[in-house]
Amino acid sequence: MSLFSFEYEYNVLQCPGVGDDIEKGEGNIAQNADDSPVDVLIVGAGASGAAVAWSLADTRMRIVCLEQGDWSNSSEYPTTQTNWETLQLGPYNINPNVRGRETDYPINNDDSPINVVNFNGVGGGTIFFAALFPRLHPSDFRVKTLDGVGQDWPIDYDTLQPYFVQNDRMMGVSGLAGDPMYPPKQPPLPPIPLGLVGETMARGYNKLGWHWWPTDSAIISQPYEGRDQCLNLGPCGSGCSQGAKSSVDVTYWPEVLRAGVELRTRCRVREVTVNDQGMADGVVYYNADGEECRLQAEVVVMACNGVGTPRILLNSKSERFPDGIANSSGQVGKNLMFHPMGWMEGRFEERLDSHKGPHGCCILSQEFYETDRSRGFVRGYNMQINRGRGPFLTALQGRANGTIPWGPGHHDAFQQYFDHITSIGIVCEDLPEEHNTVTLDPELVDSDGIPAPKINYQLSDNTRAMIDHGLDRAEEVMHAAGAVETSRYASVRNAGWHLLGTARMGNDPKSSVVNSWGRSHDVKNLFIVDGSVFVTSGGVNPTSTIQALALYVADTIKKNLANLFD
Amino acid sequence: MTDNLIATDKPLTPEVQQILSAILDTLIPASDDGVMPSAGKLDLMAHLKANDADFLQTLPEVVSWFDADFARQTEDARHALLTQFSEAQPELFDPLLHHAYQCYYQDDQVLIGIGSKAGPPFPQGNALEPGDLSLLDPVLQGDHKYRS
Repeated sequence: MSLFSFEYEYNVLQCPGVGDDIEKGEGNIAQNADDSPVDVLIVGAGASGAAVAWSLADTRMRIVCLEQGDWSNSSEYPTTQTNWETLQLGPYNINPNVRGRETDYPINNDDSPINVVNFNGVGGGTIFFAALFPRLHPSDFRVKTLDGVGQDWPIDYDTLQPYFVQNDRMMGVSGLAGDPMYPPKQPPLPPIPLGLVGETMARGYNKLGWHWWPTDSAIISQPYEGRDQCLNLGPCGSGCSQGAKSSVDVTYWPEVLRAGVELRTRCRVREVTVNDQGMADGVVYYNADGEECRLQAEVVVMACNGVGTPRILLNSKSERFPDGIANSSGQVGKNLMFHPMGWMEGRFEERLDSHKGPHGCCILSQEFYETDRSRGFVRGYNMQINRGRGPFLTALQGRANGTIPWGPGHHDAFQQYFDHITSIGIVCEDLPEEHNTVTLDPELVDSDGIPAPKINYQLSDNTRAMIDHGLDRAEEVMHAAGAVETSRYASVRNAGWHLLGTARMGNDPKSSVVNSWGRSHDVKNLFIVDGSVFVTSGGVNPTSTIQALALYVADTIKKNLANLFD
Repeated sequence: MTDNLIATDKPLTPEVQQILSAILDTLIPASDDGVMPSAGKLDLMAHLKANDADFLQTLPEVVSWFDADFARQTEDARHALLTQFSEAQPELFDPLLHHAYQCYYQDDQVLIGIGSKAGPPFPQGNALEPGDLSLLDPVLQGDHKYRS
């Protein structure tokens, strides 16, 4: 049965539910002139929100996206300033608890060895991400079948393949075709230069006979779609002043806005509301003045990442959904997965010019990506070769390591390290475990009084073994490449970039939150398109797959408009 | 010395300034070839004003741990005193060193001295070797294959 009549080119939907009394959220709700009901309401303007908005825009439905943060101004990014390393420690810190902008919400990481890091604003995490843009592998969708752990996804690589291609074109991805560790793919732009770091490490991998490949990078190596190419500034992790990094504020959003989607910044959603039929009928949010507002919608799409989305869902309590909306399975907020990380640094006698070029985009190795039980763990990891750090952090790290003293000898020691260091990040697949959770903190709240997320997370024995193995292999390849000195760090504390699994997809409503195309099992006009829906994490940076999923969900919505809520 | 260091352009007396400069010069001395300046030549006060007003207020307390003749001592003697201070008062020494490094390694003369470029990374950017992609031949000739 079709609850609603959706059609392409249908601008204003005639749907039961709009205007019904909301079950919760009463109070002094501000009346804004533009708060008339919308067809589709997207919460979050990051990687997935932008992609889903772009795809749905061609339906000509009235689409509004609410974003708690602001637009970023590239002329203010740290790399426009000589003191860029100072700015990265403060207002451009990756940790929202340190950054502490008005647009951030606090996160309780006390019971986690890994801090959640993010950016809240138009573009979301893509403003700060390293732009390393690998896809999940075909095997990542079948880990239960292949290795007897986790769960299989209800979709496979081939389902997402056309959306990977579409997303690569929209984002502007640089890379090299022919990687034997993937099915055939053709990035639209040539790869980011290897530089001395890439060449040096590649020779090390070749000595050992191990796989390596230039990274797929969401950074344009040539002029593309009105943007100019990468200038090899170095620090991509605090916003790209050149606009060559493909954050969605410079890729998707300009097109989305031209297509008529409305994006409202400084709108922080508190909860999704439901009507008498148990359908989502909009959200309650706070505007920039802290006023409580209400926006009604026929369809609500959550795109707030694997921490932000469960936070709002759990906070959306009503008589019908006392444990939070879309949570009859009890799975909302559970199975939180990061990519726990080990870090290996190597120092080389020769200068590598390692402060030049995109820090996280160089080469990678997937030699140990797939399961080999003789290693003492299941699943595997990606080895991400990074370029070096800036001069201030080189000096600071040298002091912490005892390698660069203050006082006499400082300059000689500094010159041995600055531009002579490269690193390997061991990006480990994290398996879903119910005890790793996002819940609502009973005391901590944001500036609007919304409960903050609390993270409870433990590294598994499997992960610890994987990190140890990865660091040993990284040390091996560092020496093969010519490193004269190595040092290791694990697990990296500020590594909680990839926020996955907390509203996972599946065919069984008892063990999953959304179905195979992102629709809530419980609330049939509520969709989730961010990393929350990941069933397993894979061992690579997830943004490419998150966006492909968002495009796939949007496309499926469009194909099923006539009976979307059956 | 004034009560509020942020509100004045001359927050330190000449004597205190001399001790502070000597401390900074001991933390990062000039290089023997003269290419790299000592940390005392740079404007730490301006850096703190812009970035850490709280620690700026703490600066007199840091300096108060050192005698007036600190600046006249030998480099070895100053280094020994600072080492003692770092061990006895890490909550004062660590942020001092942190800011000394931060101020130092964001100075144009220093950036040029270490082989980098003066000024911010943007818009100058950097040239980067494209790299030899024939290095991939062994990978392509190997038996690597994705798992389906």
